[in-house]
Amino acid sequence: MAMVKEPLLFARLPLNARRVLFGLVLFAICFLFAFPVLWLILTSLRPESGVYYVHRGTEFTLGNFVEVLKDDRVVEAFANSALIATLATVFSLLVTVSSGYMLSRFQGPAARTWFGTIYVFRCVPYISWVLPLYFVAQSWGLYDTYMGLLLPHIAVHICFFSWLMKGFFDGIDPSMEYAALIDGCTRWGAFIRVALPSAIPAIAALGVLCWLFTWNEFLFALILTGNRVPVITVVMAQFVTEMGMRWNLMAATAVMALLPAFLLALFGQKYVIRGLRL
Amino acid sequence: MTGAGRPLFGEQTRFMLLLITPAALLLTLFQVVPIAIGANASFRDWALYNPKKTWVGLHHYEAVLSDPEFLWVVLPNTFIFMILSVAGALVLGLALALLLNRPFAGQKIVQTVLLVPLMVAPVIAAIMMRWMFNDQFGIVNAVLEGLGLDGQPWLVERWTAFGVIVMTDIWLWTPWYTLLLLAGLQSLPREPFEAAAIDGTSTWRVFTHLTLPMLRSVIVVCVVIRAIDAFRTFDIVWTLTGGGPGRSTELFSLYAYVLAFLTLDFGRGSAAAIIGGLIILVVGAVLYRVVDRIARV
Repeated sequence: MAMVKEPLLFARLPLNARRVLFGLVLFAICFLFAFPVLWLILTSLRPESGVYYVHRGTEFTLGNFVEVLKDDRVVEAFANSALIATLATVFSLLVTVSSGYMLSRFQGPAARTWFGTIYVFRCVPYISWVLPLYFVAQSWGLYDTYMGLLLPHIAVHICFFSWLMKGFFDGIDPSMEYAALIDGCTRWGAFIRVALPSAIPAIAALGVLCWLFTWNEFLFALILTGNRVPVITVVMAQFVTEMGMRWNLMAATAVMALLPAFLLALFGQKYVIRGLRL
Repeated sequence: MTGAGRPLFGEQTRFMLLLITPAALLLTLFQVVPIAIGANASFRDWALYNPKKTWVGLHHYEAVLSDPEFLWVVLPNTFIFMILSVAGALVLGLALALLLNRPFAGQKIVQTVLLVPLMVAPVIAAIMMRWMFNDQFGIVNAVLEGLGLDGQPWLVERWTAFGVIVMTDIWLWTPWYTLLLLAGLQSLPREPFEAAAIDGTSTWRVFTHLTLPMLRSVIVVCVVIRAIDAFRTFDIVWTLTGGGPGRSTELFSLYAYVLAFLTLDFGRGSAAAIIGGLIILVVGAVLYRVVDRIARV
């Protein structure tokens, strides 16, 4: 595409030089972007004695990972995070796909009101409702329980995901559903058997995003859980203050927390890129 | 809108309401109810050491709004952070999207690398930066010293610490812009660009007169969403500096959290949370108008 033509100075260089320069710039950008993660991985592989001079020394070890995994709390936190992220993704999709479908296929006061509501609640900062949710969770007996963490995680994505889902359904021609209705399908049948299958790429994209967001979320867990339901982000943040000097262990935990997200993103990348056209 | 041939009007309404019932229920229980309870708490003397919950009216609001910490540190920090982070990530994200929008060998790999920050939890990003900018053992100071420059105590001084926070946030969110803008770029029609190429229009003019206006709606959405999200940033500040040195890098969310859970003054914390919520609702509405108008020119 002729969309980005090279600037003049650049264009005057011979083709090979241009290619090399372009490659170098790309490499520099990629390096800068990936550097923090690479550095973290490198740190996680250094023994305790070498961690303060990561850039010198050539000793490497996997001992940090072994040592971190000996800590029951860390293992439990990983299990909890994975469980909550998976459940939150499933339920969040169930709730938001239908809500987005409603926004896309209906007009009129009900749809407008619902759209306005989710728009406003999308803007409310987390702290403004999670802070008082602490009292609510305590009085409902949900504080420091799985349910108490899972339900807000489902609730938080309603606004944004309904809105994205509406966009996806807007891009799908509803005439197939009308045809199904005329052929005697119920509305639920038309929704589940006709509209849903064509929205699968979008649903996959939302699923990947939802899992990542939940896995990475920190504030909810910080406020709504105590010691009984440790999740990985909170455990790591505690590490920083409690054992702030042991950077090799810190880095090993962080690398392990990155791994599932990384794998998911790697496999889900194409869905997310395809599904995120606004 | 939904075509003819449906049997009953009531059936349609029922279907419509059933579709949103679970979402509406969850939203009510976990956002509306807490906000109402928080609003109630903000008018009461609700503290751990004083469980009487006496009604004090607007006292907490006055206290927060006359707190010099809130007015002269937290609010400016929050807005400076919001502007720098949104502008930085938008410019960078747009540049990367333009870069990725043309085919070249290894494009897939570059794209994957650029999307890496998207999957890094803010807490992990903050930990990485904290380690890299460590004043004694961090790689940044090691490189600076290797170049013959002096290392800086990055996280111990207000503005350098603030800079590191902003940088971390830009690093985290640039891929998000790249992704959305790239999708936008790829869905643009080709004809106007081909016409411009035939006319020999300069690259810069193509960018300002064609690309930008056509990407307008995507940019507006990106900026509004990100600005609203930037306003509530909590994790990276908490993990990087904890609001320090002193309380000089606190953003709004951290301020409310500290009041409620460290000072244990839930009433005042709730008041701060409500004030922040109101501010962002106004900012969100204004921003939407302004950005939409700027982008339309």
